[in-house]
Amino acid sequence: MAPLAQTELSEKVRPPQVNLRRYRWVRNGVLAWLTMVLAGAFLLKIPRLRILEHTARNLYFHVPMWFAMMAAFAVAGYHAAGFLRSGRRARDVRAVAAARVGTLFGLVGIVTGMVWARFTWYQSSGLWWNFDPKQTMAAAQLLIFGAYFVLRSALGGQPEKRGRVSAVYLLFAVAVMPFLLYVLPRQMQSLHPGAEGNPAFSEITHPIMRVIFYPSVAGFIGLFWVLYTQRVRAAALEMRSVVRGS
Amino acid sequence: MTIHVLRPQQADTSGSSTPYDSVWAGEENGARASTQQQPPQQGALERTMLSQDKIYVVLAVVLLIWLGVAALIFRTDRRLTALERRLDDTS
Repeated sequence: MAPLAQTELSEKVRPPQVNLRRYRWVRNGVLAWLTMVLAGAFLLKIPRLRILEHTARNLYFHVPMWFAMMAAFAVAGYHAAGFLRSGRRARDVRAVAAARVGTLFGLVGIVTGMVWARFTWYQSSGLWWNFDPKQTMAAAQLLIFGAYFVLRSALGGQPEKRGRVSAVYLLFAVAVMPFLLYVLPRQMQSLHPGAEGNPAFSEITHPIMRVIFYPSVAGFIGLFWVLYTQRVRAAALEMRSVVRGS
Repeated sequence: MTIHVLRPQQADTSGSSTPYDSVWAGEENGARASTQQQPPQQGALERTMLSQDKIYVVLAVVLLIWLGVAALIFRTDRRLTALERRLDDTS
């Protein structure tokens, strides 16, 4: 980073800084790690269950999407709070980047869940979508985050106001997440594991599947971090070029 | 250039002419049947890829896609680094 130009900028509009050495180490580790997870997800023998059959392996891919989304939105909320406290533009940029990548993981999660449900829960009825509570609440959560981006683009002309208003909205959006994804679906009848007070995972999953599942969750959260940091770097470049150009 | 005419290796002659009438019996039931219909000249690659309900074929496809995604991440990083260098140099 160039010291002269940076110090001239005020604290509040300084672009976000990324530790490139650490980023490269984590990126390479995450990519190698996820390659191993993919191999293990297909190679490891799993118990053959009725209805589920080989689709039980979706546990390694579908569920980590949601964990990655929740991690992403937690990071987004953290930086939104940080922006409200400090007023630094860099925190706003980080919150947006995390929310964007989180929404991507959520969309992938809901689509993979639809495909999985179509050929297990709804195998005989042929339905792609039946407003199962868990799915509906997840869709509502994604719509709440979709509104965050609509809100931001609506306030595009006023960066200060956009940062403050959208950060407050983001805090609310993150705060409702545990209720929409955990509390409410457990109060209702749902086909999704984890309904009606059951654990979603702990007792019904064979131990052998945890060998891949937990590393997969860690790997996809790492993938979130890689994509998020890429976006932060791109946004930092954008901020620097705007400052130089004006 | 010679174009080789490909003929099915007398695989599914047990069924009639319509497609989808040969029922895949799954790993446990079909293990016996699939070893019978394998032609004797199969190499190690084919023996591996066709075993376990051909799941290794899916693994190969997924790994290829994943390598593509990883390559994309690397290339994006290189472009970002180049831009960062250029801004550092000119500022």
